Amino acid sequence: MFPSKNPNVRALWWVGAVAAALAVYGCPAPPEGGAEDASQAILLPVPDDPTVSFTVWFQVGSQNDPAGKEGLASLTGALLSDGATENNSYEDILKKLYPLASGYGVRVDKEMTTVIGRTHRDNLDAYFGLLADAYLRPAFNEDDFNRLKSDQLNYLEKTLRYSSDEDLGKEALSEAIFEGTPYRHPIEGTVAGLQAITVDDVKQFYAAHYTRENATVALGGGYSDELLQQFEGTLGELPSGSPTAAPDFEPAAIEGRHAVLVAKENADASISFGFPVSVRRGERDFYALWIANSWLGEHRNSSSHLYKVIREVRGMNYGDYSYIEAFPQGGRRQMPPAGVARNHQIFQVWIRTLPNAQAHFALRAAMRELVDLVDNGMTEEEFDLTRSFLSKYYLHFAETTQARLGYAVDDGFYGVDGGGHLARFGEMMASITREEVNAAIKKYLQYDNMKIAIITGEAESMAAALESDTPSPMTYGSPKSDEVLEEDKVIESYPLGIASVRTVSVEEIFGK
Amino acid sequence: MKRSAALLLLTALLLASGGVPAAAQDGAARIFPYEVHAEKLDNGLQVILVPMSSGGLVAYWSIVRTGARDEYEPGRTGFAHFFEHMMFRGTEAYPADVYNDLTTKIGADTNAFTSDDMTGYHLSIAAEDLETVMTIESDRFQNLAYPKDMFQTEAGAVYGEYRKNRMNPFFTVSEAVRKEAFEKHTYGHTAMGYEEDIKEMPNLFDYSQTFFSRYYRPENVVLLITGDIDAASTMEMVRRFYGEWKAGYEPPKVTPEPPQTAEKRIEVPYPGRSLPIVWISYKGDAFSPQDRGYVAASLFCDLAFGQTSEIHKKLVIDEQVVEFIQANQNTNRDPGLIDIITRIKDPAKVDYVISEIDRVLAEARESAPEAARLQELKSRLKYGFLMGLDTPSNVAQRLARWLAVAGTHEVVDQLYATADMVTPEDILAAARKYFAADQRTVAVLKGAS
Repeated sequence: MFPSKNPNVRALWWVGAVAAALAVYGCPAPPEGGAEDASQAILLPVPDDPTVSFTVWFQVGSQNDPAGKEGLASLTGALLSDGATENNSYEDILKKLYPLASGYGVRVDKEMTTVIGRTHRDNLDAYFGLLADAYLRPAFNEDDFNRLKSDQLNYLEKTLRYSSDEDLGKEALSEAIFEGTPYRHPIEGTVAGLQAITVDDVKQFYAAHYTRENATVALGGGYSDELLQQFEGTLGELPSGSPTAAPDFEPAAIEGRHAVLVAKENADASISFGFPVSVRRGERDFYALWIANSWLGEHRNSSSHLYKVIREVRGMNYGDYSYIEAFPQGGRRQMPPAGVARNHQIFQVWIRTLPNAQAHFALRAAMRELVDLVDNGMTEEEFDLTRSFLSKYYLHFAETTQARLGYAVDDGFYGVDGGGHLARFGEMMASITREEVNAAIKKYLQYDNMKIAIITGEAESMAAALESDTPSPMTYGSPKSDEVLEEDKVIESYPLGIASVRTVSVEEIFGK
Repeated sequence: MKRSAALLLLTALLLASGGVPAAAQDGAARIFPYEVHAEKLDNGLQVILVPMSSGGLVAYWSIVRTGARDEYEPGRTGFAHFFEHMMFRGTEAYPADVYNDLTTKIGADTNAFTSDDMTGYHLSIAAEDLETVMTIESDRFQNLAYPKDMFQTEAGAVYGEYRKNRMNPFFTVSEAVRKEAFEKHTYGHTAMGYEEDIKEMPNLFDYSQTFFSRYYRPENVVLLITGDIDAASTMEMVRRFYGEWKAGYEPPKVTPEPPQTAEKRIEVPYPGRSLPIVWISYKGDAFSPQDRGYVAASLFCDLAFGQTSEIHKKLVIDEQVVEFIQANQNTNRDPGLIDIITRIKDPAKVDYVISEIDRVLAEARESAPEAARLQELKSRLKYGFLMGLDTPSNVAQRLARWLAVAGTHEVVDQLYATADMVTPEDILAAARKYFAADQRTVAVLKGAS
């Protein structure tokens, strides 16, 4: 219903569902299926849930975009979610879904594509055929193609470049780290790549990747056995093909600290920095590192240490956080999303928008805290509090059946067996020790080699300051304690030793 | 983003008919599927409890019926929002770091927000932590006490939020529209406030005490708790923790907006690139769930500009001149705005799109919609509402806005009952009443190049 401004999450979402949500009724069993057999249905029965949630997972993503046609996976997904099918024009689809207050959407990420839907059990008959048509019988009309291609281009050229510096900073960081790899470009593509895509390209991409070998169904809520059979049966209607090969690559090793500045007139500073990290959901080290990361920068939470240092004590910006796995659209979500499972992850720090004059100081402050964590680990007190926090906070990651279903699909991606990631999360919080956390910090985190991305309206002076490690004193509009001022003296000349700074214009970034 | 928020408000506002509602209380059918336990304490605090099965989760909402609307003194815009930030800065019993450590320790998902008519503080918690949360929440609402330097520091974070927001063109244009549409009423500014007032905030420590004393009083607050709770024992706990809270609410001296007599038009500058945004606001009425005309206006918005409307097909799908188009009536305590919003793909087509909107409105003032379409909308509202009541947080979120604006939970079922009665003729009447050109403000935002 609301064509998302991020074409990545195109949807005909139902009214009132800002976060697709379903109930936790009673005590449903953990999801079945998943890791053992990628094509086996993933099930999450919740008998007294009056709604049914559907997911179809295709093992394809933007990493499969052909060179020169960056954005193809995303555009193909868009045509499935916001285009006509062989049985109905787009307008007719909207008309038929309207009284059901239901919709479906397609999320395309780097490595996975998920078709997501949900409806009330009263409306299953009317709804199911429309959903199945979307992924089985897309029409790929020229009109729909033109509309959605132009929307996606507008997103890159106008929205990403000009309306959200925080997203832009994160994309710039990703591009810098994954340069030369299939992860480099935004999921929505590049301007040149999108411009080059034809409707035949989309048809070919669909034929190659939306095959039965590449697909897994997931069903949750108050569904019947008949519906399950019907839903599983749709996979048989997909063409047969070979499973999509995941490109084999590693991001280039980073030596030293390197900055890229995105010059954008009048922009305040938005900062992201990070480096590749190789932990994976399901592994014990992942949860150990999650504890460390939560302490350092729990997403949009005042428990984040970086938040305390930069926002709470110094009032410099709206927040400061860190991540060990991808968290797209962080400004619009509280809990980690499902459907963005990836084999290549980044550890990254996100410093929210602040005045250019304070950017250098903030970067130093954040870097210093990362160094401190890596060198000294977590204290007993810090560990106890963070572990206690996570032991219950994770209950909110997926409060609804649909969210839990998404995580169950991710379990299939990551090969997390048993009760899946969410169950394991709870178990791990109960058993991981501080020693393990500090060992994980030493093993996976470091601070010498990384990329730094900054959106700024003062690229020239900022580049000069970064290159020379010029001191960056901080001044405040209100009094601060002596303790803070003493610490500031250390921060303001904290050496960053940045090896190189390059500048790109906002008008050129993601051009090709 | 503003657009999604506006749509959420539309959908949150509207209820639908049909289906089998829960047992009626006064003969009228209910749509809200859960039992509501409501009580008003002697000090005026409204307490709404909604027990629901939830796998051990509880949503705890403190709804202060104060927002941008209450900022009537010059130079004080944005203060309700700033104050929302200050509510996390501690009391004597629970200084900020103690409060934060406590909510951290129990793994609470906690946040707050401010809008035209309310400031909402919410925590999503495990049921076992209810008493702990009630202890600290009741404490900070009664005993907030922060030092001056903390106050001044927090102003910086608020400014940071403003910086983040202003790069969004939808924020920019909505700010400009209301400033133009409202000459007297405090809805003329957003909850964020004007930049010059935000800059001044560090100097308003004394005023912040006045603000707290005036508005953070039990008569002005609704306490809403949903989820895995026992109503009786929870109500008893509430009386224990909140019973001593002293009344003393001073209503704001809000100047009513005089009637608009002529169309207004503005161009809104924006420093970056953006496709043109057209934002047209008509003068609406205050939230009136029992008024068929008011509810009809809300339904009209989706019929005329929603996804199955003729203009959507024409401009979005066929001609591909706009990315999207939508309309909704805001849920406000005082007469607010009815917004029509669209983003145009070709800057040369701005006037054309506005003329198309005018055409749709002119036609809507001539003839009533088809009964079948109205029925479909009612079905949509019903299922949309029901599907969104799945977690304690989602239930609380939907109820909160109505509670803030109306102060009572009965409006939920009233709204449903009224929507059920709306006829095509009511829609026609609403189109005629609310959509005259002299009642509107037309804003066009164009990017820098």
